[in-house]
Amino acid sequence: MKNSNANKALFNRDPILKVTGLNKVFGRSKGFFGKSTSLVQAVTDVDFEVYPGETLAIVGESGCGKSTTARLILRLIEPDSGNIIVDGMDISKNDALELKHLRKSVQMVFQDSYASLNPRLTIGQAVMFGPRTLGLSIVKAREIARETLSNVGLDPTRFEGLFPHQISGGQRQRGNIARSLAFRPKIVVMDEPLSALDKSIEAQVVNLLCDLRDQYNLTYVFISHDLNVVQYIADRVLVMYLGKVVEIGDVGSLFSNPRHPYTRALMASVPSRDPKIRTQSAPIMGDLPSPINPPSGCRFRTRCPYAEDICGAEVPLLTPQKSAGGNQVACHMEKIGSGHSKGGILDE
Amino acid sequence: MSDPLLEVHNLSVLFSNAGHEIHAVRNLSLTLQTGEVLTILGESGSGKSVTLNAILRLLPENGTTVSGKVIVDGQDVFAMTNREVRAYRGAKVSMVFQEPALAFDPMFTVGYQIIETLRAHRNISIDEAERRALELMELVRIPSAKVCMRRYPHEMSGGMRQRAMIALALCCDPKVLLADEPTTALDVTVQIQMLVLLRELQRELGMAIVFVTHDIGVANEISDHVAVMYAGRVVECGAALDVLGNPKHPYTKALLESSIHGTDRGQRLPVIPGAPPDLAEMSQGCSFAPRCALANQYCLRELPDLRPVTTNHLAACINI
Repeated sequence: MKNSNANKALFNRDPILKVTGLNKVFGRSKGFFGKSTSLVQAVTDVDFEVYPGETLAIVGESGCGKSTTARLILRLIEPDSGNIIVDGMDISKNDALELKHLRKSVQMVFQDSYASLNPRLTIGQAVMFGPRTLGLSIVKAREIARETLSNVGLDPTRFEGLFPHQISGGQRQRGNIARSLAFRPKIVVMDEPLSALDKSIEAQVVNLLCDLRDQYNLTYVFISHDLNVVQYIADRVLVMYLGKVVEIGDVGSLFSNPRHPYTRALMASVPSRDPKIRTQSAPIMGDLPSPINPPSGCRFRTRCPYAEDICGAEVPLLTPQKSAGGNQVACHMEKIGSGHSKGGILDE
Repeated sequence: MSDPLLEVHNLSVLFSNAGHEIHAVRNLSLTLQTGEVLTILGESGSGKSVTLNAILRLLPENGTTVSGKVIVDGQDVFAMTNREVRAYRGAKVSMVFQEPALAFDPMFTVGYQIIETLRAHRNISIDEAERRALELMELVRIPSAKVCMRRYPHEMSGGMRQRAMIALALCCDPKVLLADEPTTALDVTVQIQMLVLLRELQRELGMAIVFVTHDIGVANEISDHVAVMYAGRVVECGAALDVLGNPKHPYTKALLESSIHGTDRGQRLPVIPGAPPDLAEMSQGCSFAPRCALANQYCLRELPDLRPVTTNHLAACINI
C-alpha cells in the first residue's frame, strides 16, 4: 500500500499537467454548398490534473477519445478550446517557443513501434536526434543516447548501429522509449505502448517502465485498454466514454469500488483469470455509439441498464463522491434529488 | 470415444522464398470431437493461424510445402480435388477471421453477401435464401436484423460486423468453425459478448470450434481443451482446467506467471527472458530452451516429443 500513501503526499503539490475544458471536434469543414459535414465530437469538456511522479491511466474503448486526448496534450493536433498547462506554462496557445519547451518536457511513446521510428535512421541516430535538436554537440548527444539505450536494456554497442527492421518488436519498443527519454522529459505520454507486443514480452516492458519511472522521476500518462495493466501500473485512473470523462479516481478505490455503471461494466468485461469461473452473460450489450451524433444527456445512457428520462435530458456533471474515496463520477444516480429514481442510492 | 470429427496428423508447413526456409508449423497433431471447443494458444508467429489455414487448405501453393494429414469427418482434406475443396469449405468447416471489415466485400450489403453464399452452396430460391439469411442474422443476435441486412459493412459497428461474419460462416451449418482471433480487434465489452455468443451457438448448434487466441483470459472463457503452441509446435495440450489451471510445460507456466494482473501491484513481475525465436533459424533442440530456466545440455540437443503427464494432459519437455 506504498502507493496510496505516496498519493496523499502528491495531492498537496501543484499539478505538473493541468488540462481544463479541452474540446476537439473533427471534420469541421463545410461540405458542398456550405452544408456542414458530420462532426465527430472526439473530446468534450475534459478536465484533469496530473501530479509530479504519478501515473495517470486513461482507459476506455476504442473511439472514446483517449488517443486524441494524448495527442492534444502534446499539441500534435490543435485543440478547439481549452487550456493545457504544463509545469505552470500554458501551452495551448500557438507559440513556437512554448512548443519547444513542451516538446522537451513532454514526450510520447506510440503504439506501433515500427511506424514511429524512422526506417532510415539507426536506433542510435534516432535516440540522438532529440538531444541534437536541443542544440547539443554530436559527442554529447551520442553520450546521452548510449546512456539512455543501456538504461532501457539495449546494449549500445550492439544496438546503436542497427536499423528498426533488424530488431524484434520488444527491442523496438525499448528503442522508442529510449528515443523519448533522450529529451530527459518530465512527462511521458504513452499511447497503448504494450498492445503491439507479444504476451511473453509484455511483462519485461512493464517492469522497465516501472524502473524508468523511479530512475528518471517520470510522470506518466498511460493510455491503455488493458485494465489489468492499468491496475498494476497506475496511481490514478480516468475512465472515458465517447469523448467524456465518466469517472476519475485513485486506482485502489476505483477498482475496489467502481461507481459509474460504465466503469463497472468495463471491469466486469475483463476475461476471467480462472478457467473454472466463466462470465455467464455479457455485462452490457451493444457497441459504442457513433461519436458523430452522440446521445443527448449522459452519453452512456443508450447502453446503461439504469437509464431513465433524466439521463437523456441532462448532462451529468463530474462530481466528487465522499464515500468513494474522493473519486469523481459523472452519473445522475450519484446525486440525491437529481431526478433519477436511484439518485443518491449509492451513497447510502 | 467415437471417431474424432477433426484429426490433424503430423502437420508440417514449410514456407520457402528465395533460399529462405521458414518452418511455420512442425509435426503438429490435434484431435477435435463433436461439440468441443479447442483453443490454440500462442504468440504471434507461433503457427496458430497457419494451422487454421492449412485445415481449410487456404495456404498459397507457391513456395509452400505442406506435409501430414488433415482428416475431417472421415475425409482426407489434402487428397481432395479442387471441386471437392470448394464443397468442403463452408459446408464442413468454415472460418471466422480476425478483421471482419476486411473479410466482407465493401461493395455489397451484408445481407447480399450472406444470400450469395447460401445460393452458391445450396440449390435454393432467392426468397428462401433471404429467409435463411434473416434467420442467421437473428441467430447471432443482431438487433433489427431486417434493417441490418441492407447495410454495407462500413455502416455497421465492429461488434455487429463480427456477428454478421459469424452468420456468414454459419450459412451451411458447418460441423467445425475455425475462429482466428475473432475478438482481438474488438473492445473488451464487445469481446465478452462475442465469447458468450460463441459458447451459446456452439451449444445450440452442437458444432465444434477451433479457437485461436494469444489472450489467456479469452482462452479461460471459451476452451474445453487447450493446445499451447510455441515456434510452430504444440508444447502442451489437454483439458483447459489442466493446461491453464495446472500447467506443466515451462513455457506455459512462465506465460501464465508473467501475464499481468492488477492484483500483483507492487510486486515485480516475473518475466520470460529473451524473445521468441526466429523461425528461419531453428536449432535442433527444444525451441524454448534458450529462454527456459530449466534448460540443460540435453534440451539443446534433441527436440522433445509430446509425452503424457497424466492420461489426457501432454507436454513436450524432457524435464517433466
